[in-house]
Amino acid sequence: MASKVHQITVWARGVVQDKEGRDIANGLANAAEKDGKFTQAFDNYVDLPDRVNVPLRKYARISDEEIEERYEYENEKPEIVIVADATIVKGINILRGMEKGGTLVVATDRKPEDILKFIPNRDLLNTIVCVDAKAICGEQTVDFSGSEGGVDSLGIGQGISAPILGALARGTNLVKLDNLAAVVKNQEALRKGHEQAVVKTLN
Amino acid sequence: MFNIPKGKEVPLGCVTPAPVTEQPMMMTGNWREYRPVLEPEKCDLCMNCVVFCPDACFQLDEAEEKVVLNEKYCKGCNICINECATDALTAAYELDFEDGVVRLEKPF
Repeated sequence: MASKVHQITVWARGVVQDKEGRDIANGLANAAEKDGKFTQAFDNYVDLPDRVNVPLRKYARISDEEIEERYEYENEKPEIVIVADATIVKGINILRGMEKGGTLVVATDRKPEDILKFIPNRDLLNTIVCVDAKAICGEQTVDFSGSEGGVDSLGIGQGISAPILGALARGTNLVKLDNLAAVVKNQEALRKGHEQAVVKTLN
Repeated sequence: MFNIPKGKEVPLGCVTPAPVTEQPMMMTGNWREYRPVLEPEKCDLCMNCVVFCPDACFQLDEAEEKVVLNEKYCKGCNICINECATDALTAAYELDFEDGVVRLEKPF
């Protein structure tokens, strides 16, 4: 019996947040790999070609043993959902497929309660983490060098993905902040996101 | 002549029932970050928003004499705000409103 594969789904806006969403998935997978875990990180093929502001998904998988499901291109049961733009919670059933006890990370300037009222199936959540990523690090990188197997020339985590990854390390114990710091480019934003994240435990 | 099952019959000349004003297969309301909000006192019904909206979200309500936004399809491009002759439209952040929820299972 293979060990559990932790599935992480990232929701971001098309084109304007494509690079940031990809950085969250890649940064998370690379940081977990430094911890000796087996990882995968990829875009959602179904969402492409993306258009400006379309909600799109990026996926990451982390496991203690080698991941056998190599040819499944969607995370059916995400354990952690990361939302890079808070207005997506109004437009998509972001918790689809999640089993009870999941984690939600939202980049927003609002309080966790304000986000939760837009999520009808909030009973599934165990933890919600809110971080004001745009205030910590206002820029969003628009770059396509790393997509579809290309080499990422700008590096991982230059814009708002850095504080979101920092907040993720606060809300879960899947990755360590030190491992993220070895991967992410914008160190200051990563630390600030880790400190300023608002964690709320439900139930 | 043809044995067409009931319910799949097409009217003469393949005319579908009209008027059809919505296409639920392509709902774009969940693309929106900022929505246009109308101040009715400033609006002089110049119809710029009706003409320029790429998704024909603004429709004239002739009985009420005002333009109405269909939030299911407004993707928040905010072209209407730029084109409004009397500055009656302003952009407002989507999370400030409880309505206008277009919650789809998949992005599109």
